[in-house]
Amino acid sequence: MTDFLRRLLMTPQGLLGSIIVVLVLFAAVTGGWFAPHDPDAMAALARYKPPGGEYLLGTDQYGRDILSRILSGARSTVTMALLATVLGTLLGAVVGTASAYLGGRWDEFIMRTIDAVMAIPSLLLALLVVSLLGAGGANALLAVAVAFMPGMARITRAVALTVRKQDYVSAAIARGEGSGYIVLREMLPNVVAPIVVELTIRVSFAVMLFATLSFLGLGAQPPAADWGLMVSEARQYLHRSPWILIWPSAIIAVTAIGFNLLGDGLRDALNPRT
Amino acid sequence: MTENQTPVLSVCDYSLDYRVGSERLSVLKNINLTIGRGEILGLVGESGSGKSSMASAIMRYLAPNAVENAGTIHLGSTDLRSQSARQLADLRGRRISMVFQDPSTSLNPTLKLGEQLTEVLIRHQGLSRAQAWKAGEERLAHVGLKFPVEMMHRLPHEVSGGEKQRVVIATAFACNPELIIFDEPTTALDVITSRQILDLFAQLQAETGVASLYISHDLAIVARTAGRVAVLQKGEIVEEGETEPLFRAPKHPYTRALIGAVPRPDRRLLKGDPPQAEPLVRVRDVSVNYGRRSLLDSLLRRDFTPVIGNRAVTLDIKPGEVLGIVGESGSGKSTLAKAMTGLNRFDGLIEFDGRPIRGLGDMDRAYRREVQIIFQHPDASLNPRQRISEILVRPLKLYGGREGVPVQRQIEEMLDRVRLPASYIDRFPHQLSGGEKQRVAIARAFLSSPRLVICDEITSALDVSVQASVIELLMDLHQQTGVAYIFITHDINLVRQIAHRIAVMYRGDLVEVVPTQAITSSDRAPYTRELVAAVTPPASLTLTA
Repeated sequence: MTDFLRRLLMTPQGLLGSIIVVLVLFAAVTGGWFAPHDPDAMAALARYKPPGGEYLLGTDQYGRDILSRILSGARSTVTMALLATVLGTLLGAVVGTASAYLGGRWDEFIMRTIDAVMAIPSLLLALLVVSLLGAGGANALLAVAVAFMPGMARITRAVALTVRKQDYVSAAIARGEGSGYIVLREMLPNVVAPIVVELTIRVSFAVMLFATLSFLGLGAQPPAADWGLMVSEARQYLHRSPWILIWPSAIIAVTAIGFNLLGDGLRDALNPRT
Repeated sequence: MTENQTPVLSVCDYSLDYRVGSERLSVLKNINLTIGRGEILGLVGESGSGKSSMASAIMRYLAPNAVENAGTIHLGSTDLRSQSARQLADLRGRRISMVFQDPSTSLNPTLKLGEQLTEVLIRHQGLSRAQAWKAGEERLAHVGLKFPVEMMHRLPHEVSGGEKQRVVIATAFACNPELIIFDEPTTALDVITSRQILDLFAQLQAETGVASLYISHDLAIVARTAGRVAVLQKGEIVEEGETEPLFRAPKHPYTRALIGAVPRPDRRLLKGDPPQAEPLVRVRDVSVNYGRRSLLDSLLRRDFTPVIGNRAVTLDIKPGEVLGIVGESGSGKSTLAKAMTGLNRFDGLIEFDGRPIRGLGDMDRAYRREVQIIFQHPDASLNPRQRISEILVRPLKLYGGREGVPVQRQIEEMLDRVRLPASYIDRFPHQLSGGEKQRVAIARAFLSSPRLVICDEITSALDVSVQASVIELLMDLHQQTGVAYIFITHDINLVRQIAHRIAVMYRGDLVEVVPTQAITSSDRAPYTRELVAAVTPPASLTLTA
């Protein structure tokens, strides 16, 4: 494990990605504790303040401190993105491994269905789910998870197919092991590595997808401190005070890049031979 | 032929290390080698001895983490180590060329064979495309390919392994190089084809007088091919000399151990006569077909021709008998093993101890307990994410071990029986060597107290000395438990040491089943005779024995 961490931190992308992700996760866990102001407190006299002075990153149209809002918004945005990705990955991994194990006609049926679902762009699919279930945080989470499931299923199946051909799976079948044991104990541990890599990269997509949903008014609802929602609201004041827009956009971008870099680093660290 | 002037290749005090993390791994130590014109030097050693690193060093194609000492490598009077990349590109293919182990990976699958062959001629001899094509056809005819004109237009997947290796050899000889390095050129081929390739090599060698470095782990082949032999152990040449005296009276203990480990059919390892009893297993007309008719095919009523794995194989195995199955790759040996262990669908009947088994549904837990299979590659057959304890506990959990004995105790006893220390119980497979891993796989098979164990090429991925110890272990277990073996292999010398009877398979058919002593008899089936004749007899190793 220490060896694995050393390999991860040796690569520049692994190191940088780990630092960013640790910072973002720290902000998500501690939430608003370190926020200098109450994120929801309005101040009529301190509207549209530029960065500096009392308000480190400036204030928005209601005089709320942007730094505080970003810090407390990390909790909802990042937690939601992680939860949605993990949920989508779990569903996808089980479907993909089962499809590879069953093989034959079942495999064809499952994968062609997945192909059909994948033909719908993920944002459109998420919009469809949200418009069916109604706007709101929990529904947005479900929407993103559903949108991610087909891709993860396909990736898992590709890895599971090579594992399926390994002799240790043949040995288990020849021994008369049950399907549950073979899928869960023999196959799944050997497909975990690529799934973890894909998961971290997908988190960055999820952050952006959530931001987009909030931006379109289908995710978090005002006055919640959500990064996507902040960008959406700031749009009208772009010319008056660009900072309101720039800070949350930048933090979305940095978080996405951080998870992406971590995913790259993990890929190298988990496959030392390549 | 003797060295009249400067040798073609001379390697002097050459050492090579690989940097791995912060450590340095020494692969070659103070190597001194010379090869004169027309000479064949055999380089033998087990895996990890540095044979292939030597080839890379001569070709100047080293991994980026390689560290060399001040030793020299000369080709004629050219110092290879001081050549620039451009000069080397000009040398390779023109003055040195190389033949790799596996022709299916050394040829580019997307280029026609002709294009790959003519590339060297165009590059180094300045021929035009048309001239090179014509010359290429001649070269292919020269390496014994029957239809050189058609062959030039084919893609690698359209020809057999032996034909591919002939094309590779034609390419290597194309520019009349001074030195050719052969890196295990016949290992990936089956017995008969590899014999033909060796004959071709001897003929071309005699015609052109090229100097050759012949790298192999197979002592019998080296003894037949090379004029002089160098034995490499852990990066050091421990013994070097003319082939015949070296093999007749090896001086170094390592060489002696290597030669001693080569299977010799005249030295039987199996004690006792074949048992006289009712068969334990009756295989009756078992056929295996691969592929399935697609929905579209059946809708359109198109004909469907499945790939045939086995065609109506009928066999008997008596209790406690060792039955060897031999045949070239693709002859259906493993397919039969898979059908018998429920990994393939089959048609026909298998009768085990009187119980009829017609399909996968009839293979109950009792059958699975009594019939065990051991696979070729221990790396693939042991789950890399499970500890030895979890791997070995499965048979006990599934079939129930001995009553009243703790599971841990049973596993430790079994590890002791396969001669592994009990401390291995907490290790992962990658912390064990190849031979040790195969012992774990054997332990797993024997933990269920089987009555039939199918060994599917279990020693072909192992070095010859490790193979000898694994075979010895199998024979001991056979003595102790009276288990029956089906021993699948392509090594006929080995199977003649350990089997009561030998079954010969060819392209899915069972040719014949003969008692081991009668395998060399002249009234065998033509294919059996061909197969036995193609085997390099290890007698050439032990001329005085």
